[in-house]
Amino acid sequence: MGVFLLMSNEMHKVLSIQSHVVSGYVGNKSATFPLQVLGFEVDAINSVQFSNHTGYGYWKGQVLNDSQLGDLMDGLKSNGLDKYSHLLTGYIGSESFLLRVVEVVRHLRTVNEKLVYVCDPVLGDNGQMYVPKEMLPIYRDRIIPLANILTPNQYEAELLTGEKINNLDDAVRAMTLLHAKGCDIVVLSSSDLGSENHLLALASSLIDGKRKCVTIKIPRFKQNFTGTGDLFTALFLAWMSHTQDDLKASLEKTIATMQAVLKRTIEHGKSLGNEESTPGNFELRLIQSKEEIEKPKVVIKAEVLNI
Amino acid sequence: MGVLRIMSDGIRKVLSIQSHVVSGYVGNKSATFPLQLLGFEVDGINSVQFSNHTGYGYWKGQVLNESQFGDLMNGLRSNGLDNYSHLLTGYIGSESFLLRVVDVVRHLRKVNRNLVYVCDPVLGDNGHMYVPKEMLPLYRDRIISLSNILTPNQFEAELLTGEKINNLDDAVRAMKLLHAKGCDIVVLSSSDFGSEDHLLALASSHINGKRKSVVIKIPRFKQHFTGTGDLFTALFLAWMSRTQNDLKTSMEKTIATMQTVLKKTVDYSEGLEIENSSSRKFELRLIQSKVDIENPNVVIKAEVLQT
Ligand SMILES: Nc1ncnc2c1ncn2[C@@H]1O[C@H](COP(=O)(O)OP(=O)(O)OP(=O)(O)O)[C@@H](O)[C@H]1O
Ligand SMILES: Nc1ncnc2c1ncn2[C@@H]1O[C@H](COP(=O)(O)OP(=O)(O)OP(=O)(O)O)[C@@H](O)[C@H]1O
Repeated sequence: MGVFLLMSNEMHKVLSIQSHVVSGYVGNKSATFPLQVLGFEVDAINSVQFSNHTGYGYWKGQVLNDSQLGDLMDGLKSNGLDKYSHLLTGYIGSESFLLRVVEVVRHLRTVNEKLVYVCDPVLGDNGQMYVPKEMLPIYRDRIIPLANILTPNQYEAELLTGEKINNLDDAVRAMTLLHAKGCDIVVLSSSDLGSENHLLALASSLIDGKRKCVTIKIPRFKQNFTGTGDLFTALFLAWMSHTQDDLKASLEKTIATMQAVLKRTIEHGKSLGNEESTPGNFELRLIQSKEEIEKPKVVIKAEVLNI
Repeated sequence: MGVLRIMSDGIRKVLSIQSHVVSGYVGNKSATFPLQLLGFEVDGINSVQFSNHTGYGYWKGQVLNESQFGDLMNGLRSNGLDNYSHLLTGYIGSESFLLRVVDVVRHLRKVNRNLVYVCDPVLGDNGHMYVPKEMLPLYRDRIISLSNILTPNQFEAELLTGEKINNLDDAVRAMKLLHAKGCDIVVLSSSDFGSEDHLLALASSHINGKRKSVVIKIPRFKQHFTGTGDLFTALFLAWMSRTQNDLKTSMEKTIATMQTVLKKTVDYSEGLEIENSSSRKFELRLIQSKVDIENPNVVIKAEVLQT
């Protein structure tokens, strides 16, 4: 009994349902290595296998459908391989697949009632939806109540709450609304509420009736990146687990690593010295950032908000 | 430090075509993390996505066919993402897929004529073939001559050379025959003419007309593991690259890591209340062996053979 308890406390095992790209770093390619370096076993279900991310304009590959997802879950289940500490989901492309995810969360919770479900509700960015619009009500009404940690961007938080976010107060209110829908921890991984030079990220927790909110000012790079949201969510998952839900420390460590990875990515991209910036020049330098993933050096501090 | 400097000069980027399992450690799940830890970018093409390895007796999942494989290569090519330092292939299930690999090696060599092709010619083990027998002539007549590093087990070396291997002399002769077919480096990753307590592994290089052979005695664990061949090949690739083809050191470091991973795996299994016949009990403790992968502590030395 003692041993069993100890073991289940120590379990760091994530089922991560995301895209796989052969080349580059988005989805599971972005999330797996950091989680592994931070001590998590990562069981990846690849919802697609593409040659590269779609930002290149041209790509080839295969898509997993909902019944194939069901098959993989059946295989895990039949062998008693379905005990996880965390479930992580990112970009999902269809309604039917998302509905299957609802079943997966329910099932994994029957195996481990302490399962932490970390959901990046990928819907769109900068005012554009890039998934079918039928997926919004499923996220809003069925997924969010099941999620423990939700990491929308500003636009996604707006869609999910139906409220515009124009300032810090709006953002805090949106997070309050998302808590009310049943989600313990909400992180706005990026918002344009900062300044020209800064992005603002916010995190909010409502655990045992206690509310806590922190915000962090992120120096903004002029470059556009892909896969940063997936990396952010993976790092945040890891640090929340390692710090026993210390919101401030987790956000600081996450951002410290993000900044180091992006700095290295920009330097490398520039060193390639191409006339124009192709997406390939700015693929995240993730493997090269192992040390900053393991031991983030926190220089930018988060601030606790009084609310 | 010296090693790190060397690494930053050239590209360290592996295209790894192997199986993916959601749970457990074989194929790309076994090879990717160690290679990444040792500084390699790993672009994984998952030739299958299965819930778990087939040793469990029950599994579910998807198989990539050769035209889907071709699609992925097409996507990489069209975006100029096909410049690799290494190609790594493991278990391949069909003739048509293997024929496609021949095209891929040729193509990747056009892009980078220094490409190192590391081939684990998976055909079978302990006197049993577990791929279609039509694949043997393909490996023998078309793949071996393209590969730089070949890592057969004893049975595979016998099949590929048509000669029985009963002792050290036979093994050395078999490796010579494989060199003659065009392969610079041959490693017999395991053989049974050690002793009851030891496995023997051998490595042989034939570079610029100079032949070198080493042998290492591997303390044998009583348990049966899966994914060890894939891990061995990945580690050996990494160390050969990092030591500029130092056969002896590469073998020693590879075996040092293998031994600690297997020791951890066995120790962990002893605390599990699962019957010994279950594959689940002996899944490699790879993520937990990070330090032993990064800094193998060499205690077992390889011996140089006078050949
Ligand atoms: N241009 C940038 N400058 C600085 N940091 C950035 C930049 N782009 C992304 N980031 C980092 O990536 C994190 C995630 O932001 P990003 O905009 O990529 O994802 P998201 O849109 O918030 O999330 P998702 O699209 O996955 O829902 C930010 O918190 C920030 O740390
Ligand atoms: N029972 C064991 N005891 C000690 N080492 C082992 C054992 N099983 C595997 N290994 C390690 O794994 C390495 C690979 O051996 P293994 O028999 O798993 O693969 P293989 O059959 O040689 O290769 P493949 O099947 O991939 O062609 C060995 O060199 C050894 O280091």
